[in-house]
Amino acid sequence: MKKKFASAALAAFLSTALPAAAAEIVFSSWGGTTQDAQKAAWADKFTEKTGINVLQDGPTDYGKLKAMVEAAGVTWDVVDVEGDYAAQAGKNGLLEKLDFSVIDKSRLDPRFVTDYSVGSFYYSFVIGCNKDAVSECPKTWADLFDTEKFPGKRTFYKWSAPGVIEAALLADGVPADKLYPLDLDRAFKKLDTVKADIIWWSGGAQSQQLLASAEAPFGSLWNGRMTALAQTGVNVETSWEQNITAADSLVVPKGAKNKEAAMQFIALATSAEAQAELAKATGYAPINLDSPKLMDEALAKTLPDRQTANQVNADMNYWAENRDAIGERWYAWQAK
Amino acid sequence: MLSRIDAQTTRPQTAARIRRSTDFDLTLPALGLLVLFFVVPVVILLARSVTEPAPGLGNYAELLGSSTYLRIFANTFIVSGLVTLVSLVIGFPVAWALAIMPSRAASIVFAILLLSMWTNLLARTYAWMVLLQRTGVINKMLMGIGLIDQPLPLVNNLTGVTIGMTYIMLPFIILPLYGVIRKLDPAILQAAALCGANRWQALTRILLPLTLPGMAAGALMVFVMSLGYFVTPALLGGTANMMLAELIAQFVQSLVNWGMGGAAALVLLVVTLALYAVQLRFFGTDRMGGG
Repeated sequence: MKKKFASAALAAFLSTALPAAAAEIVFSSWGGTTQDAQKAAWADKFTEKTGINVLQDGPTDYGKLKAMVEAAGVTWDVVDVEGDYAAQAGKNGLLEKLDFSVIDKSRLDPRFVTDYSVGSFYYSFVIGCNKDAVSECPKTWADLFDTEKFPGKRTFYKWSAPGVIEAALLADGVPADKLYPLDLDRAFKKLDTVKADIIWWSGGAQSQQLLASAEAPFGSLWNGRMTALAQTGVNVETSWEQNITAADSLVVPKGAKNKEAAMQFIALATSAEAQAELAKATGYAPINLDSPKLMDEALAKTLPDRQTANQVNADMNYWAENRDAIGERWYAWQAK
Repeated sequence: MLSRIDAQTTRPQTAARIRRSTDFDLTLPALGLLVLFFVVPVVILLARSVTEPAPGLGNYAELLGSSTYLRIFANTFIVSGLVTLVSLVIGFPVAWALAIMPSRAASIVFAILLLSMWTNLLARTYAWMVLLQRTGVINKMLMGIGLIDQPLPLVNNLTGVTIGMTYIMLPFIILPLYGVIRKLDPAILQAAALCGANRWQALTRILLPLTLPGMAAGALMVFVMSLGYFVTPALLGGTANMMLAELIAQFVQSLVNWGMGGAAALVLLVVTLALYAVQLRFFGTDRMGGG
């Protein structure tokens, strides 16, 4: 924490002192094990190759990003954001267009490429369960919403983002290909039925803590967090049944001071090798279509990109269009 | 000769003038910083709350016209009130004990109080999370001694928020109370006893009225601090007992709706300043912190 603050302060100082020199860039992400992996797989390699230092900052905060752009004091050069936010922020003029003469998009999963963003990694919302805490684990979204068959607390992602509303609709019997446009009335009605039993998680580490302590013995988590939990020896089970995918994206805020270096960084981060490295460390899937070949088969088959048989894709464009409207309803419903 | 007299008569005046002007000059940097870092952002926030997304008082109308948001306001006051009350009930005996303890013992208790205050807030909040959760120490102990057979829901609800916040606020009520109690003359109690007061009468008719200013000052401080609290309620509470600061964070961080965030922040600021004014009006600044 302290180190992060120091590097951010240093970044702020240097970016005002040396505007032209791209001796370093600042990368902001969500902290924790994921950012550690991004540093090892991307930033350290980038510094090795170009001599440009990558300072780590975070956590990503959309309010802060907007403030930086508006105040023309952008201290972040590359930011890891959620996919729906990337699509929306691009439209709202908060982001630089990416330079695809530097970034090779020909081998990137086209689901996660826009003019303003490319995928960072992609993940699934899966059903996680602490096997030691319960006699039987929920397998489907319908199970997770069934408080009679599976009594007790369950945990869901607290923020308004793709994932929970889709899960509620799937649990209520909406076919996966008929999810969009989202029937919000129906979703909230379904969510009402479990509301008293929900403990919300607001960050990945918290979701792991809730599950491991059996405070909420099951719930909807990012698949990578389940992988990490299993590695620490917690007896967990992951159900990939109708896993809901969404992606993080890499973006460059409008007015970033080291735009060119930022493009080079993104080019490296989305390369086959760097994506494979990150996937190995996090359990999230690579967005470079050549990465799976570079990975150990045993590991590759645990990633979301191999769970496509029963996969539901969250529609990022729909979310980008409706993010604000859904968000307002979401928070109002939560606080009710 | 003339010049000598001149010098003698004018010197003190000049010195006074210099002193007065440097006094003012010296406050300028501080004043400038205050304007730059406090006044300007507040004005910008106020401006945004009436200009985004459309000019007018729409944000305030939405904020005060929605039952959900009003509930959050009400909840903010309920939680703050509850925390203040529990802090007083626990804090008073502690302050009392501190005041009558031998000084070496008192300094140990003070060290514990201050150490806990200086420990990172996030760390303390997570520590409570670990203690209070279903499989936490408290539930395990209660189940171990057979007092309960199902874990109590102590966290992610109002109970968790109240426990966590009270713990954090306690020093802010103990310290001013300690100051007030220390200043009481022990002879008063002896006098009361000589006049025939029993212990209960001595407490309710002598001690409580005399310590009331300290209690009120501490209580108001805890209440005002609680109104704007963020980390602890966000981590130990559930969404059903959300507090205002968390709503503001949602508006700003997630919805990127600064108009509403600004409006909510201003309502909070106005309420806080009004309460602070009450505090100054009735208790003055000299009694804060037990002076």
